[in-house]
Amino acid sequence: MNNEARQEILSSIRTHLAASAPFDARESPVNHAVVLSAQPVASNLIDLFKENLEAVDGHCIVAHGDAEIAEALTQIISALQKTKLRAQRIAISDAPELERLMYMTDLEIEELGIAPNASDIFRFDVGITTGQAAIAETGTLVLDSAHERHRLVSLVPPVHIAIVDASTIYATVGETLSMLKIGKELSPAVTFITGPSRTADIELTLTIGVHGPQELYVIINQSPRCT
Amino acid sequence: MNHLSSETFRENARAALADVHLRGALKNATSLFGERRRVAAASLPNWEDLRSEARAIKDEVLSHLDKYLEEFVRTAESRGAKIHWARDAAEANTIICRLSAERKASVIVKSKSMTTEETHLNTALEAAGMQVVETDLGEYIIQLADEPPSHIIAPAIHKTRGQVAELFTSELGTPPTDDIAQLTSTARATLRDRFAAADVGISGVNFAIAETGTIVIVENEGNIRLTTSLPRLHIAVMGIEKVIPRFADLDVFLKLLPRSGTGQRLTTYQSFITGTKRHATDEGPEELHILLLDNGRSRMLAHPVTRQSLACIRCGACLNACPVYQQIGGHAYGSVYPGPIGAVITPQLMGLEKASQLPYASSLCGACREVCPVKIDIPRLLLHLRGEISERKGSARERLAFKLWARVMMSPVLYKMSSVAGRVLQRVVPISKAWTSGRDLRPIEPRSFHELWSDE
Repeated sequence: MNNEARQEILSSIRTHLAASAPFDARESPVNHAVVLSAQPVASNLIDLFKENLEAVDGHCIVAHGDAEIAEALTQIISALQKTKLRAQRIAISDAPELERLMYMTDLEIEELGIAPNASDIFRFDVGITTGQAAIAETGTLVLDSAHERHRLVSLVPPVHIAIVDASTIYATVGETLSMLKIGKELSPAVTFITGPSRTADIELTLTIGVHGPQELYVIINQSPRCT
Repeated sequence: MNHLSSETFRENARAALADVHLRGALKNATSLFGERRRVAAASLPNWEDLRSEARAIKDEVLSHLDKYLEEFVRTAESRGAKIHWARDAAEANTIICRLSAERKASVIVKSKSMTTEETHLNTALEAAGMQVVETDLGEYIIQLADEPPSHIIAPAIHKTRGQVAELFTSELGTPPTDDIAQLTSTARATLRDRFAAADVGISGVNFAIAETGTIVIVENEGNIRLTTSLPRLHIAVMGIEKVIPRFADLDVFLKLLPRSGTGQRLTTYQSFITGTKRHATDEGPEELHILLLDNGRSRMLAHPVTRQSLACIRCGACLNACPVYQQIGGHAYGSVYPGPIGAVITPQLMGLEKASQLPYASSLCGACREVCPVKIDIPRLLLHLRGEISERKGSARERLAFKLWARVMMSPVLYKMSSVAGRVLQRVVPISKAWTSGRDLRPIEPRSFHELWSDE
């Protein structure tokens, strides 16, 4: 692009680093040989995930197989329908199992949208997606754009419900970062979600649900086929 | 008290000290953030190791910044991102205005970016006829009030709910309310409309990964995700110091940044954006442009002491820990970067002559160094800058005074004579008012330690 600016900035960096060399020689170097000790991790990743998600105002439900997931969806959404969140217009991502699961629920809704685009998504009350991984030590949900269209469905509606396989729960952020990179190129958009959207910008008072969802539910699928 | 100047720091600080409401708000904010940080740091057994590791990574990048920037540019371009280089604020603003105008943009949504505060991008875009909307709740409030941010991570910390309600009533026509949840939902509703209309989204960058070409942005509200997902063009603005070598290095920084800033284990959202979407039917912007800004940063590489300013990850911990910031807040510094880190960055970015009072806005107590997640030795930096200032414009009188002082301190006889003289003189000669107006000057003891020691 603007090649002249590029050359000038790079040459300024090189000139100033060279000017620094004599001073650098006199500085005592920062200790570079740090060995980071490994964190102890509790053996039950599901319990740890649940505990940490609930600590940041998210909800966690453990289900065993499709029937229980559909039942959990029914319970969550019908309870929301009695609140001012309405939960009548449901958007799901294009993950194939979601449409099937929705038909297994016992719900009366006004609309079911599949991965609505940017101009349609704003009218939906609930967004349902799957998650590609979860992190136990922080209660975090991981979305990877390579797998489904869930960028807007997980973000714009006031409620987000995500379904995650228990076998994809990682113990730590570090392990999850290595998993994301190993063996493939990074997807265009990877998102870590830890609890509902929050702000404390007015008088430091915590308020849940500013730009993103104000309710986050994660359903952990602990079905036999995954273990 | 909008848009104060660094050149009038002393007057700004005096005015801030007289503002009882401001000092109450600052006390609450800084003690709350400070305590949360302390608890969060204590929860990790290897906090000190993490700090050293983070600093080592930053030192590695900064001593080979050209190499890592070129690697980042190569990897990001290979994934479809367009890279722009800007030598200064004006060049950065020109590029962003051009990109937006070429796409006939009329509404631009922005997520919080200290770098674009530094370049005054909003003014430039508005002058070019575009509507710019800050979408972080705190930034939105101060944009409506036409004020600069007063804290790096909590920009509207100085405003009460009453002031926010008044502002919303006069600017948005909403009914007055004291309910913070209600105010927040007003902002949500108003901004949703802007998100839906926006042609361009402008964000900052927390980390840029050389190895993968990824940019990482952290937040709690979700406005960054909206800004980087909805509009068809996403422009990410970053200082050249934001690059880190490897994707795995994020493990260290994602532990340090949220804990130091807000005391969270992780902020609600981390967006890892690598290039543009792969298929036309995928979600997300059509185009990703990343702007690399120098604006005085490469100059700071010329000395190891000043270079460490570039290790800063903008967590705001040093602001909360600083006894000066705790009393006067961010506006008095007259710079987008306030507090201890602002006192060292501002003079280097804007020029020593424009911010020569800031390096003196410190008691050198070292609290900032204690809390800094990347171990920046801010007191040493402050002394280094003070040295540069006095070399440039130290007064002849001051130099003479210190020469005399040095001579006296080197001679026991002269020292003894001077303390006797001091005891007598302090009764008859008034001591400089500048010194005693803000603090007590205890009288010199009738007998010196040296005399007492000899008597024993």
